[in-house]
Amino acid sequence: MREEILSLKNQAISQIHLAKTAEELEEIRINYLGRSGKLTQLFKNLSSEQIDEKKLNGLLLNEAKATLTTSIASRKNSLKESARDWFDPTIPGIKPTIGHLHLITQAIDEIAKTFIQIGFVRVRYPEVEWDWFAFEGLNMPKDHPARDEWETFFITSAPDPKFGQMVLTPHTSSGQIREMKRVKIPPIRMINIAKCYRRQIDTSHVPMFHQFEGLVVDKDISIVNLKGTLDYFARNFFGKERITRLRPFHFQFTEPSFEVDVSCGICRGRGCKLCKEGWLELGGAGMVHPTVLKNGGVDPDKYSGFAFGWGVERTFMMKAGLSIPDIRLLYSSDLRFLKQF
Amino acid sequence: MNILISDDWLREYLKTDANQKQIAECLSLCGPSVEKVENNVYSIEVTTNRVDCASVFGIAREAAAILPTFGIKAIFTDKKLLPLKFKNKVDYLSVKIDRDLCPRFTAVLIKNVQLSDSPDWLKQRLTDVGVRPINNIVDISNYIMHEIGQPVHTFDYGKIGKSKMLLRTASKGEKITTLDGKSHILPGGDIVIEDGSGRLIDLAGIMGGANSAVDSRTKDVLLFVQTYNPKNIRNTSMSLAQRTEAAELFEKGLDSELVSIGISRGIELFSKLTGGKADKYILDVYPLPYKQSRITVALEFIEKQIGIKFNKDEITKMLTSLGFEAKWNSNNLEIGVPSFRSEDIKIPVDIVEEVARLYGYFRLPSQIMTGTIPEPLINSPFDFETKIKNILKGYGGIEIYTLSLVERNSIYTNNILKIKNPLGQDSEYLRTSLAPSLVKAAQENSGEKEPFHLFELANVYIPNNNHLPWENMSLAGIIVNSTFLTARGIIEALLSELHFWGKLIPEEGANYLPGKRLSIKTASKQIGEFGELENGYYYYELSIEDLRKSSKEIGSYTVIPKYPAQIEDLTLSFPDKTKIGEVMETMKSSEKLLIDVQLIDTYKDFISFRLWYQNPHKTLTNPEVESSRNNILKHLREKYGAIQQT
Repeated sequence: MREEILSLKNQAISQIHLAKTAEELEEIRINYLGRSGKLTQLFKNLSSEQIDEKKLNGLLLNEAKATLTTSIASRKNSLKESARDWFDPTIPGIKPTIGHLHLITQAIDEIAKTFIQIGFVRVRYPEVEWDWFAFEGLNMPKDHPARDEWETFFITSAPDPKFGQMVLTPHTSSGQIREMKRVKIPPIRMINIAKCYRRQIDTSHVPMFHQFEGLVVDKDISIVNLKGTLDYFARNFFGKERITRLRPFHFQFTEPSFEVDVSCGICRGRGCKLCKEGWLELGGAGMVHPTVLKNGGVDPDKYSGFAFGWGVERTFMMKAGLSIPDIRLLYSSDLRFLKQF
Repeated sequence: MNILISDDWLREYLKTDANQKQIAECLSLCGPSVEKVENNVYSIEVTTNRVDCASVFGIAREAAAILPTFGIKAIFTDKKLLPLKFKNKVDYLSVKIDRDLCPRFTAVLIKNVQLSDSPDWLKQRLTDVGVRPINNIVDISNYIMHEIGQPVHTFDYGKIGKSKMLLRTASKGEKITTLDGKSHILPGGDIVIEDGSGRLIDLAGIMGGANSAVDSRTKDVLLFVQTYNPKNIRNTSMSLAQRTEAAELFEKGLDSELVSIGISRGIELFSKLTGGKADKYILDVYPLPYKQSRITVALEFIEKQIGIKFNKDEITKMLTSLGFEAKWNSNNLEIGVPSFRSEDIKIPVDIVEEVARLYGYFRLPSQIMTGTIPEPLINSPFDFETKIKNILKGYGGIEIYTLSLVERNSIYTNNILKIKNPLGQDSEYLRTSLAPSLVKAAQENSGEKEPFHLFELANVYIPNNNHLPWENMSLAGIIVNSTFLTARGIIEALLSELHFWGKLIPEEGANYLPGKRLSIKTASKQIGEFGELENGYYYYELSIEDLRKSSKEIGSYTVIPKYPAQIEDLTLSFPDKTKIGEVMETMKSSEKLLIDVQLIDTYKDFISFRLWYQNPHKTLTNPEVESSRNNILKHLREKYGAIQQT
């Protein structure tokens, strides 16, 4: 039987090499390996052999079968393309329709997540608010020059005798007093993310934008704690190569007050259309002014706190890898833009 | 406010080896922020509380305190005052002053001035900081204002009627023409000066009157240096939109002690540049001279607020360099506030700021607070909103953010909030529906031929009499280049994923094509709508809170049946205008073994359904299925005239 196997194998191999088309190869396959093929027949004959012979011939048969199978396959591949069964695996697949969450949503989710990890509670307060919550309660009396910093929209509506005019919140800080009044007794760790409105429009400003406001009030809260919180955020959000700095600043509702900057990711600190000397202003921060604590119903002799309020869009654009030169693009509905994210 | 300071001018008051870059960096880290240095000129942002820094003099003083904390030597070289004689009465001018309006009033007569061009060095200094040189008299005022931060005015002495001045508030409607030729009708409450002939000659603190201005024939001038009540100045300047540099300084509350330096510099410069000779007596009406204010702060308070331990001497040194008097009484620090900081430094936390910034915020360690974690917000809406966004994204939806401020649109009623000071007509109202914004967004992509689906989650603002409006978080979407069924499928899938219990009920509504609108309803309340708009877009809008209330976070569990369902397809024909949705409802309600029915095909008026029959307790036999089927067919025949096709 052994010779028979070897001669069948050699015979088949030479036929495979001479074959010119896929059809011929298929014929050869059937002839040797098909249900009643020559090699298959030998497998059937095995059972009538002696144990020793059976073992050896079985091995030989399997080897011959494997050789023929690979020879047929490799011969098929070596035939001209026209002679093969044609299939093109490079055609792109049929994708499901891909949806997109807006960059701002992605930013808000990421910001919220970062602060929630360290015990902050996410809240939302009115976008249309009384002057008192937006300004006066934050230690900014009527006609105070500090109000010039906020280009505020006013609503044509009768002013409230106690709370003053109706305004569009120019910052999320108006949520500070609302949160103190909600919680009543500290600890407070608030993250308030909301739409804000200011009368300005250029490459880095839109009349509607988003801010996130952090407020922490508890016993013995210090500047060191504020720095710890901001650094935690910066490390988690911006990554290692971006750096931040704190500068003294002034806000009526915090004392001391700071301006928090991060190095510009577009020009990498060289200075460009979007930044000032390589630094981008993230927003303000500070220790909550005792008057503001008092206005929120919190005793400033027992508690202290810090707050910060930054722009969501600016903050997200400063994040690694993103260079959108005009912030107004974020509010356009151009599919070519939206589909990038 | 931003101010410009030239390096050469600064170094007249600041002796230091620090280069421009070091000065800029150190100031920014511990004091006023230097935005940029260009052509040897610093651009510096001075915050409203630090008007004492709004000058060459002020920045030099501040830098002299800050640079040494970086190990850089710096000395503030103050100008010596001339030996002046201040008197509250002089013979060349009689005045009547309301001290609430003008805490300090000084003036001096300078005779025989020669009007000419200023010398080049002075012109250069003014040009450097963006001021156009005009003539020596005008230039002196500008020079002093930029040098020390004190506005100064010069009258033509000959034009002051009867050498008399009455400083008072204006009544509403009084008129004055200022130096720049503009005529103003005063709002009332403005500080003005009336001369002896009853004319208004000065819009005090903002700009002088044209009728008393210096001109080429001027011989004698009155040099004029004051402080004013900041509130009056701000009100007038804002309501007249006359925002002069003087007004921006006065409205922040100037140091009344600075006035003496102003008058001294003025006399000096007039003598040097115009040859004018000042009278030996200076009129000075200063009924309540500055009395040093004092604050006591405990060491522990400073340390707790900042978060680190301090050496007492270190604190004293920092505060002294900033011009404070500081003395320890055991662990309490007694502080005397210099006049130029008296408006800013009033309570203990103000001292904390001075100590912390001079120590350097960047040198402080950082450590997240310990302490109790607050309770979570009950009924927080955010997870639900995120879930909706993710579901729609999964269906190929593209999220957009559009402006809440919109233009007038016929969709809105008159019950809508209006902006008093809009940027333009295209953003005058607060939207009460998202529809116009989404239609606009769809139109912006009118070149797109493929189907697309835009959606937005945003507040709409429903007016509420004189209370704050109701801010209703809404979900809206617009589906373009699609079909009614595909669009409806998106809504159905969304509602089903949210485990919403409620129904889509055909109801007509404004802006939708007839017969192509569905109300999304819970038991009785409409919480949203869907349909084809008149412009052919498919649109939906829902109230998120209502949707949340009628949805379930997690689906409910029902026992998985042990026995298989019998499934069969059934093709029926119906008369024209039969509503298939209703037919399917009837099928389900008429036969209790029918657990599900789906539409699988429609061809002409033939409708094919797939039916699932199931008994939870046993496997159904063919005769049982047949009896159920006959029951269903009987109902459909009677109610709709349906005929079974075989």
